[in-house]
Amino acid sequence: MSPSLLLGVAAATPRFRTPHIDYLSILPILIMMGGAVAIVVVSSLVRRQLRTGVGTLLAIVTSLAALGASLTQWADVADHGAKVTIAGAVAYDGFSVFIQVTVSIAMLLTVLVGDGYLRREDVGGPELYVLALLSASGAMVMGSANDLIVIFLGLEIMSIALYVLAAFNHRRTESGEAALKYFILGSFSSAIFVYGIALVYGATGSTNLPEIADYLSKNVVASNGVLLAGLALLLVGFGFKIAAVPFHMWSPDVYQGAPSPVTGFMAAVAKAGAFAALLRVFVSSFGAERADWQPIVWALAILSLVVGAVLALSQRDVKRMLAYSSINQAGFILLGVQAADGRGVAASLYYVFVYTFMIIGTFAVVTVLARTGDRGHDLSEYRGLAKRQPLLAGALAILLLAQAGVPFTTGFLAKFQVVAAAVDAHSYALAAVAMASGAIAAFFYLRVAIAMYSPAGASGDDASHEPAGAAGAGVGGEAGSAGSGSPAGSGMADPVGAAGGRGGAVGVAAPGVAMLSLQVLTDEAPSPEVAGRTVPVPALAATALGLAVAFTVVFGIVPAPIVDFAHRATLLFL
Amino acid sequence: MDQYLPILVLIVLGLLFAALSFVGSSMLAPKKRPTAAKVAPYECGIVPDIEPPSRFPVRFYLVAMIFIIFDIEIVFLYPWAVVFHQLGTFGLVEILVFAGIVFVSFLYLVSNGALSWAPAKHLERAMPSRTSDSTIARISGNPDPLASGPPVASPDVEPAAAAASGPGQAA
Repeated sequence: MSPSLLLGVAAATPRFRTPHIDYLSILPILIMMGGAVAIVVVSSLVRRQLRTGVGTLLAIVTSLAALGASLTQWADVADHGAKVTIAGAVAYDGFSVFIQVTVSIAMLLTVLVGDGYLRREDVGGPELYVLALLSASGAMVMGSANDLIVIFLGLEIMSIALYVLAAFNHRRTESGEAALKYFILGSFSSAIFVYGIALVYGATGSTNLPEIADYLSKNVVASNGVLLAGLALLLVGFGFKIAAVPFHMWSPDVYQGAPSPVTGFMAAVAKAGAFAALLRVFVSSFGAERADWQPIVWALAILSLVVGAVLALSQRDVKRMLAYSSINQAGFILLGVQAADGRGVAASLYYVFVYTFMIIGTFAVVTVLARTGDRGHDLSEYRGLAKRQPLLAGALAILLLAQAGVPFTTGFLAKFQVVAAAVDAHSYALAAVAMASGAIAAFFYLRVAIAMYSPAGASGDDASHEPAGAAGAGVGGEAGSAGSGSPAGSGMADPVGAAGGRGGAVGVAAPGVAMLSLQVLTDEAPSPEVAGRTVPVPALAATALGLAVAFTVVFGIVPAPIVDFAHRATLLFL
Repeated sequence: MDQYLPILVLIVLGLLFAALSFVGSSMLAPKKRPTAAKVAPYECGIVPDIEPPSRFPVRFYLVAMIFIIFDIEIVFLYPWAVVFHQLGTFGLVEILVFAGIVFVSFLYLVSNGALSWAPAKHLERAMPSRTSDSTIARISGNPDPLASGPPVASPDVEPAAAAASGPGQAA
């Protein structure tokens, strides 16, 4: 056989050179997706009554397996170093492994909360887990993507499952409304994101993140209009997913309407995935252009911090309040993005990680308290909770205080680190706004805590009807009287009182805000049917809540392991 | 700038297509519009004063979904078959994984009764808290201790209705 003939045959049927696939680098993603398919198969084959139970079991096993695989990856990356695999599409580094650990944990906690919800609401079986697992795998893809197209792929895998999850409770019309709003706005933002990718590709000639960084470091783009437009559109796409102001409009409605466990999942996983991709794209690929995008992120951060905190003050619906609070927290995480250095990235990663525990734990309590129908989200439902169920109230109080950034919780350190990163980056105004908004935010977290530690009966209103003249002192006094007035709250009276003092100090600084807060505090009439009735707490939800509280407190007191974890994730950052 | 010419051409073609569709439909469509009486549903000659509900079984959606599942599978199978030899073993394994996942969705639909046209055996209760016992208890006025739903605050309020209206506004 002559060489030319051989060449001819080879040319006729050219073999595609498939890239070498390093399966360990995508193992948690494969486990999540495989677990989702396995749950569909098994739940289709077992009897109807067993479906939810089997689904929960398999989902827990899947999440634990993904967590184990992520930790194996962590050891592997620490030993052998970071690398780019699968034809440059996937980055296998500490950063991606960190996000995979975060998402695995969020998934595990969501399954624990979701089991009780599914049994109570009777809205369907393990489909919740299947969709959540797929969504989580999308967030993992976003975390390890090394190419703009792969980021988009992960974004869509994550979002499409979330749209369906938002509509999961078909007995609530709000759930369908939330899904429709999320779907329409989400598809729109995805389209904007893709257009951003196209413009960046047009300006740099590649969608691969290291190649873009390489191009930008070697070439000076004379007229960089296309590049800047692409950057702006990418930022809009990410801003939508992380619910940064002014791209936050969907979030209160969707958070309020979606089933409560799904809301917690959304707040944790969608944020983790989107922030991971945002950090990787902007800090590593467009690091050379930081002078252009830092001011935009600066503005987004300030708007998110202020708008989130101020609008949360006037919410009566706890889920809606938590939605605005989540916008405020996104603003804090943006501080780390804006700093755009190793310290900022580490602070943002730490924030995302500890926020996962706080928000899913909070929504575990919200889920349990909402009762059958998932409707009891009004603040009056929380009134007197400490007397009825002191453990549940204590757990929620700790998680809310952690979100407010009270010391000896992980939330304090998270806020401290991002603010320190902003100060290091000489963004003093931003750091000041962040601290002020944190003080404002303390009000609405404390408002729930005060409601819980007030007596359920009419006697609780005497504190609320205090004249609003002494604004700052009024809030502090109220918190103090509420804490000491509750007989069951002997253990918790201390932190609430202390936090009330902090709120009072803030009130002196911002009396206008204090007035507003007092105004909305006064109209909490407890409904008689709620008073004196306890809600059943499923064992798995209690486990999730216990894990979240234990993590928040233990690693708030002993912060070194998690801080070190986040810091090492950035050291291995490609 | 030459490489952007096809995009421009595509935009022009798209606009032309939209415009020509309107022109064509206005030229070809019948000029006589149907009157209101013509499009109204026929109810034995009586003029309907409310819009009658149009009913058709929701199972048709499930059948449509089965169709879409296999439609999508074919959409991906066809280009794969064209380059089957070039892809080699890797391509074969990948398409088997894909077909397996598609088959799982079919399994899911069948297990949910998409292909069972007999009368449904598993009717899910719309309101689990309402049973015939609870209705008897509600009418007779004494609350039934066996009723699992939220306790009846006042005898004239249905438990499910009370839960739906929200606890905040109860007497």
